[in-house]
Amino acid sequence: MFWFRKKSIIIFMLLPTLTLYVLYMIIPIIMSLFFSFTGYSGIGKIDFSGLENYIKMLRDPLFFNSLKNTFIILGFAFFILLPCAFLLSLLLNKKMKGINIAKSLIFSPAIIAPIIVGLIWTFILDPYKGLLNMFLERVGLDFLALQWIGGKTLSPYSMGVVYTWQNLGFITIIFIAGLKIIPKEINEASMIDGATPRQELFYITIPLLKETFIINIVLIVAGSFKIFEIIVQLTGGGPNYLSESLITYMYFITFQQSQYGYGMVIAIVTFLISIIFFSFYLIIIMRRDKE
Amino acid sequence: MDSISYIPKARKFFWNFLKYISVIVITFMVTIPFLWMMFSSFKTDVEILTNPFGLPETFSFGNYISAFQKLNIPLFYKNTFIIVLPTLFFGTIITFISSFVLSMIKFKYSKVLYFFLISGLAIPVFILLFPIFFLSAKFKIYNLYIALILPYIAISIPFSTLLFTGFLRGFPQEIIEAAIIDGCGLFSICTKIVLPIIKPTILTILIFNLLYVWNEYPLAVTLIGDKNLFTISLGATILRGRWDIDYGAIMAAGTSIIIPQLIILMFLQKYIIEGMTAGAVKG
Repeated sequence: MFWFRKKSIIIFMLLPTLTLYVLYMIIPIIMSLFFSFTGYSGIGKIDFSGLENYIKMLRDPLFFNSLKNTFIILGFAFFILLPCAFLLSLLLNKKMKGINIAKSLIFSPAIIAPIIVGLIWTFILDPYKGLLNMFLERVGLDFLALQWIGGKTLSPYSMGVVYTWQNLGFITIIFIAGLKIIPKEINEASMIDGATPRQELFYITIPLLKETFIINIVLIVAGSFKIFEIIVQLTGGGPNYLSESLITYMYFITFQQSQYGYGMVIAIVTFLISIIFFSFYLIIIMRRDKE
Repeated sequence: MDSISYIPKARKFFWNFLKYISVIVITFMVTIPFLWMMFSSFKTDVEILTNPFGLPETFSFGNYISAFQKLNIPLFYKNTFIIVLPTLFFGTIITFISSFVLSMIKFKYSKVLYFFLISGLAIPVFILLFPIFFLSAKFKIYNLYIALILPYIAISIPFSTLLFTGFLRGFPQEIIEAAIIDGCGLFSICTKIVLPIIKPTILTILIFNLLYVWNEYPLAVTLIGDKNLFTISLGATILRGRWDIDYGAIMAAGTSIIIPQLIILMFLQKYIIEGMTAGAVKG
């Protein structure tokens, strides 16, 4: 293929992709890093402030509260979403009538705009006029009608519920894809050897799904660090920034307070955390690539 | 061999029954929020409060009329499509060409470039928001469609590259070499030989990016301030917690935004699920 071994043609064909990618993905990261060392506020010259913003972060209780909220959502997703999705995948992997309709309905929240997901759930969780509390009061469970959103404590847990609802089908589908790869012969062999269904689950299915579990954990972690629209809709970070997550707090500091330098510090921290988790995912892809 | 034949029939029937019931209950629980929203959109405001759980007594479209009067939903759709179409068109073309080069031609930096592009999957959009806002202001494109189209294409590159190269690497070189001997040029190799075979992958990429751009909010809210340019996602925020305005109209507006997406899901489920499980990570 002599005609496209020419260097100039190769470069010409790669140029549009590389230009856009570098301009909008790589340079912005360098810019964020740069701004995080400045006290830039949109007006006047860009002045260097060294590590001042980083020290400010370590002294900012709202930052740590946002970090805590992010980890509450993450923990909720890890301990509720992951096991539920796994169990659901075992159930939906069976051959049944109408199973495909069930699958696509359970999956549907994952493709709806997150901003609409937030909208629907605001009208469900609102403590005064929401559907949930209206329901609880009707059936006489008034004492359970708590301040799901907008109060001091429950908001991040409610966000965890919404996030779980939104991603249950998605994570389940990935588990099902993993289950499909397990060769049928292995299950049959274990049956013949007299393994009980429970033994089969713990000694065969789960160990063989190791990679799928890792991918789903990475997805859940990366996903919980990206929850933005749900928080914007449910509480807007309030009251008094108590329900902010890392990124909504970053957005508030950057775009509402115009503290660009400080905002970029929080962005960088979020970036580093997600890079760490994401490298696991990349390693899996690279390993697959070699095979 | 029927592996569960040793289980007595009655027990088998019981387990099957239990399985069906659990699938139905779980499916119902997941869909309650949608169903509730759709039912409410046909109820009057009074009925929503007095009868929040039941089916609407009469199906009235009054809420839809008032929703379309209060919110310019057709305009949001129009703006979204003005952004979606060029993003999908140019994004798919440029990543197809670059992936073609990266997977078909072995040159010194092809592996490095491939991983350079793929590693973009790890970049959360939130670290990019302010720099892109800053650049857009400098380029004087803030509040223009192009301000969103360019980053949307850039953000779709890692995922599209992953899928395209994944497919193209398995493409038999012999076919292409035979085509060259027959005198095919680069362009006709792409359009006449590779493109027809790669159609399902392209469809997966198109649908995946369509959903991404359609649902995208953080960049849109950062780069678009003019209400006349609002996308569907931005339009939906106008409704946030507006109990003071018409409850039913909000439900109607929400329903008219999610129905098209549910229809897309119904018809193109296979490609959507393929895209989400293949790349599994994005945005």
